[in-house]
Formats: sequence, structure tokens, C-alpha cells
Amino acid sequence: MFGVENVLTITVKVMAVVGTIIYFIFSLVVVKQVTAMSHNVKDKFNGILIVFSYIHLLFSVLLMLLAWMLL
Amino acid sequence: MNRSSNLDTVAPDDKVVEVKIIKSRSPVDPELRQKVYQILGKTKHPLSSFLVRPHVFTFKEKDEEEEILVAMRPHWMTNVGWILIAAAMVLGPTLLKSVALLNGLPVKYQILGGLFWYLVTFAFAFEKFLSWYFDVYIITDERVVDIDFNNLLDKKFSEAKLSMIQDVTSRQIGVAQTMFNYGSVLIQTAAEVNELRFDNIPNPEKVVKVLKLMREEEDIEAIEGRVK
Repeated sequence: MFGVENVLTITVKVMAVVGTIIYFIFSLVVVKQVTAMSHNVKDKFNGILIVFSYIHLLFSVLLMLLAWMLL
Repeated sequence: MNRSSNLDTVAPDDKVVEVKIIKSRSPVDPELRQKVYQILGKTKHPLSSFLVRPHVFTFKEKDEEEEILVAMRPHWMTNVGWILIAAAMVLGPTLLKSVALLNGLPVKYQILGGLFWYLVTFAFAFEKFLSWYFDVYIITDERVVDIDFNNLLDKKFSEAKLSMIQDVTSRQIGVAQTMFNYGSVLIQTAAEVNELRFDNIPNPEKVVKVLKLMREEEDIEAIEGRVK
């Protein structure tokens, strides 16, 4: 029932999901920091940087969902 | 008789006009200031590391009447290293595929691994860009400011009044700094933060000259009793 292959698959899945969750937290920190720094230092490209940080966050959510569904 | 403390109830029809007083600070010695502007020159492009009297750029702690003379970021040459690393990271999976190293893995692992790799590459490049973009050194007509953003969890704000500056030194080391005219400026002050260091800034000699002139202006202001 619990063959070596099964255990390996579950281990890989758990590691991937935990890893992507940690990455998601990291991307949240990125959004928070970019917003905070844009508040401190205002320049022409702040808006673009905030948009990029949110796109990064979106992709990290996608990665988390993919890790859950695919593996 | 009870008196109302709220004036609007006593004279409700009168318009309340907010009077905002903005102090305009004209330079104490216009000739000296013109000299400063001449030394600084003009900004070449919006992503320049040397923004002279910027219109858009500002910072949170700036006073209303304070004028930003120059805002600096580390020279673009300091970005070359991480740009090359990021380019190599982008090409990494393609190279691995070309030597058939990833072909043994199931497709779902390849998709997920690829997406993760490119996200990490993006995060690496983005974090490096942010470190450069938010690492700002500012000279205003009142003070010098150093805003550091070393990484996502380490940021620092330090400032010193121009009148507190005691000694300014510039240093350019190595071939790249000499060729591309960038280097460090060390500002020693009598303030709480006794040393400010502007690392890898363009035109360090110009900065030293400007700080010297601005200190002269502060001295004249002190004699005239205009220092805040």
C-alpha cells in the first residue's frame, strides 16, 4: 500500500507545496516593501515597480496552485 | 448665559478660509547658487543615476520649502554584474534542455520546475533592481540624506545638516571607477550620524565641490542669522 514510490511522490509533493507557500510569503514581503519604499522615495517609475511586484505575487499564487494540482 | 465654543454655530454663514503659509526660501547668495547649478549641469535621461534638481523625484521627509539640488543612485556600471547573472539564469533551462539533462523528468515536473526557475530569476533581478533604485543619496539646500535599501529586509535613512559637515573626501579606485567616473564620497559630520558614505556615485568630484559651496552658503546664512 505504501510503496517506496508512493512515499517519494508524497514527499516531493509536500516539499513542493511547502516551498511554494514560502515563496508566496516572500512575494507578499516584496509587495509590502515596494509599496513602503515607494511611499518613502517618490520617482517616475514607482508605479511600474508596484505593478511588477503584484504580477510577481500573482505568479507565485499560480505556482502554488500548480504545485497542488499537478503533483 | 451659555456660550458656544464652536464658532460655526455662532456665525454659520461666514466662509471658513484656510490660510496656508508657504515660506519661500530664496538663496542667500544667488551667485553662489548659480555656481552650484553650473557645476551640477543637467540630467541626461529619467533613469540617470545623477538627477539634477529633479521635478518628479521627492522623498517623504522633505520639507516643503526645501530644494533638492541633486539626487543620486549608484552608477549604472554597478548593475552590470547582476544583469549578466540574470541573463545566464534565463538561458540556464534552455542550455540544460539542449544537453538533454531535463528530458528524463516527467512533463509536469518540467513545467513546474521551469515556472519556479523563471520566477526565482525574476525575483533575483527585481530585488537587485530595487536595491539600486531605492538606494538614494540626496543633497538639498539644507542637508545631505542617505536612503539605503540593501535588501528586502534592510533599509536605512540617515541625514546630516549641511552646517554640521566637517570634512568631505572623494575616492575613486580601480579601472572601472576611473574610466566611467564614479566613486565614493565620505562625509564626516558633527551630527549624531558622524559619517555618511555615498558609495559608487557618478561624478564624485562634482559632489565634493557642490558640498563645499553649499557649506559656504550655510556659513553666510549663519552670519545673517537665517539658519533654521
